[in-house]
Amino acid sequence: MEKVITVCPYCGSGCKINLLVKNGKVVGAEGANGVTNQGELCLKGYYGWDFLNDTKLLTPRLKRPMIRRQRGAELEAVSWDEAIDFAASRLKAIKEKYGPDSIMLTGSSRGTGNESNYVAQKFARAVIGTNNIDCCARVCHGPSVAGLMVTLGNGAMSNSICEIEDTKCILVFGYNAADSHPIVARRILKAKEKGAKIIVCDPRIIETARIADLYLPLKNGSNMALVNAFANVLINENLYKPDFVANYAEGFEEYKAMVAKYTPEYTAEITGLDPQLVREAIRMYAAAPSATILWGMGVTQWGQAVDVVKGLSSLATITGNLARPNVGVGPVRGQNNVQGACDMGALPNTLPGYYYVTDAAAREKFAKAWGVPSIPAEKGYGLTDVPHKIHEGKLKANYIFGEDPLQTEPDLGMMRREFEKLELIIVQDIFMTKTAMVADVIFPATSWGEHENVFSSADRGFQRCYKAIDPPADYDVKHDWEIHSLMATAMGYPMHYNNAQEIWDELRGLCHLYAGATYEKMAGLGYVQWPCETEEDPGTPWLYKGNKFDTPSGKALLFAAEWRAPLEKVDADYPLGLCTVREVGHYSCRSMTGNCSALQTLADEPGFVQIHPDDARKFGIADQSLVWVSSRRGKVITRANVNDRVNAGAVYMTYQWWIGACNELTVDHLDPISKTPEYKYSAVKVEAIADQVWAENHVVEVYGKMKSDMRKAALA
Amino acid sequence: MNRFIFAEPSKCIGCRTCEVACVLSHSGAAGVEALSSASFAPRLRVVKSQEISVPVTCRHCEDAPCVNACPNAAIVYRNNSVQVLQDRCVGCKTCVMACPFGAMDVINVPATKTYAGVTLTHGLKAEAHKCDLCAERELGPACISVCPTKALHVFDRAAMDLTLRRRQERAALEAAGTPSL
Repeated sequence: MEKVITVCPYCGSGCKINLLVKNGKVVGAEGANGVTNQGELCLKGYYGWDFLNDTKLLTPRLKRPMIRRQRGAELEAVSWDEAIDFAASRLKAIKEKYGPDSIMLTGSSRGTGNESNYVAQKFARAVIGTNNIDCCARVCHGPSVAGLMVTLGNGAMSNSICEIEDTKCILVFGYNAADSHPIVARRILKAKEKGAKIIVCDPRIIETARIADLYLPLKNGSNMALVNAFANVLINENLYKPDFVANYAEGFEEYKAMVAKYTPEYTAEITGLDPQLVREAIRMYAAAPSATILWGMGVTQWGQAVDVVKGLSSLATITGNLARPNVGVGPVRGQNNVQGACDMGALPNTLPGYYYVTDAAAREKFAKAWGVPSIPAEKGYGLTDVPHKIHEGKLKANYIFGEDPLQTEPDLGMMRREFEKLELIIVQDIFMTKTAMVADVIFPATSWGEHENVFSSADRGFQRCYKAIDPPADYDVKHDWEIHSLMATAMGYPMHYNNAQEIWDELRGLCHLYAGATYEKMAGLGYVQWPCETEEDPGTPWLYKGNKFDTPSGKALLFAAEWRAPLEKVDADYPLGLCTVREVGHYSCRSMTGNCSALQTLADEPGFVQIHPDDARKFGIADQSLVWVSSRRGKVITRANVNDRVNAGAVYMTYQWWIGACNELTVDHLDPISKTPEYKYSAVKVEAIADQVWAENHVVEVYGKMKSDMRKAALA
Repeated sequence: MNRFIFAEPSKCIGCRTCEVACVLSHSGAAGVEALSSASFAPRLRVVKSQEISVPVTCRHCEDAPCVNACPNAAIVYRNNSVQVLQDRCVGCKTCVMACPFGAMDVINVPATKTYAGVTLTHGLKAEAHKCDLCAERELGPACISVCPTKALHVFDRAAMDLTLRRRQERAALEAAGTPSL
């Protein structure tokens, strides 16, 4: 038995795993002594690898290139030559007819790695000639990047995951570590054991709320009001650090004026919180010698998200909780490599290394390196612009790489209607997905475990994954970067790499932030946190040394905004606010975890809607019964989980179910800056189903048909 | 003293990694692929209420109601633990009713018989099903090894003594400042 070091392909905690390999097959996983996980793993780490064996529990592996010669025709397996020729000639024709900006591309924040994301964005910018490339950061921590880039100059966690346990106070805001990042939850527990105070702001009694010193069950959609109230108390009670503000921050007068009216008493009606509790919480945060703010999707998936991120950043700034160890701002990234996809420039406004596309000098540097006359200077479209730009007739082709937008984007009915209008859909993935089912071209790629690559964990840590196995002999799959290279070459831009390290070294040569992060330094269990500018530089566990921020002025910007209510209102027809959340055993669109025996044994279709006992009584819902949940946009069947950890008036569904798909219901309302959807608030109703026998059979039938359709399509 | 598994509620995050490890530890040579929701029967169960998340399992009682209740003497004290002799179990469920912790269950597993060297399935066999402290596993209870927050511990007399001693010392320190009567 051989042990091969890799990094878990699920959340952004960056846990190192030893994959146990026997006769060319992965047979087990054990914790390796990585920097963030210290030998521990959660259930996805231990039991999330058997999808590699094509279990077909949910959906089959893609094994050979496929094309659909015309719409309505069946997918057909073809050679790589034919598939590349088919896709490249069509993409070229669309580019010639409608221009490069009629083509949208994605990076992939999942198992593929940094090198392939670099190549994907190079393909977009140098070959197609567009900045229309984005990744799922858009629907997740996009607001954290957008907000922190403005206030502090760097969009990532300011401090490290390991430092969490040595902070003296943790303010957990809209972040359910136990379900999203069990290995970060472990650090929170360790901090508590070492005497840290824990403050939790969340409408649900999440696991961390159970161990919190203070728990603030705020109303859904009141984040900005609470953050402003915190600032108001810090200023009015003189709990902030005037010296730090005077020397290292700017915008204090405007900030102070904006939060002036947001006393805890004024905001009580909005937040539903006792003013005294709000005061005690922020006093506790201010009194701590070191304090860390952690946040997640509860902050970012709102129509007002960037403002709240800036507000949280300002709390850290005015209390001097930045620019030293064990403090800071922590947007804990969800997908294993969403930090990496952003680092690699799979974003419409930044090149690799966070150079803005509007920066002429950076554009020139990249254009020269890539051997093209120029790189487009206008910001491209984001993921959530896609349905609208199709509707306006501006987007004609979509090259989707390792994502399943027809499962993960809001308002799936609208997404399907708009996707039908596209002239070309290319999907590059490892599994048949809802999106692959409607593709004109399918490029099958190697999976995590079958290639080597670098991932970026949530705290900017670069780590290497080694190749554990070859894809089975009967698979005709290629590495993602090989596929993009073949497409580039077919479109008249010769591109060739021999291995991932060649790509990595090209990237290092172009980005000062990553220049010193060599493969050698990351060998084995190596962990290199960017910025890492020279080969001698060990990397940067915490940012802003010397209180020098990465903003143009070098100072931290203070910012507050007026609170805005969520867009959709509950009413007599749709009386409950739906909030979409995460499930510990599943990940993203579930194409990987749904094919893992242990994980799908613990939780399977049609998923659950979590509802408070009072609401369950009011609407006649029995625990564990099948129910209909509907919004103005759609209707899905799921199972009721009557649960007194959730607040009355709201219901919660996890987003990975293909039948109980909450995104059939969610509203396509976006934050105006980051364009992140308001997944956390859609008006819905929950209805009991009288004939439970019918309902159970219905789920079995629908699930069976969905799986057999996927299998048939993949076996074409 | 019988050994038993204790879970600290303040450390449990409700992830159920322990449940999967438990089932795999009792699956013999079968790997993770053999798991299915129909046959998934962990011997410890994570319970979540508003106030608590914690796995609940057998306490290996010193004067065990299940041992006392079993009409067929199928449950015995062995190797500082409470163990079930499955070939004696008739599936009467008396032990299930007797256990105040809900830690005992009776499940049906496929039975096999061997005739002349050929193994055949032979209907179902009832088994009283509870934590056996992974008696067959060299490294001890599997749930403890996988818990990412180290919420699970096996307690034997020595571990119990250590805990008692620590608490006594803490109590003594707390008493130190008490004024004389």
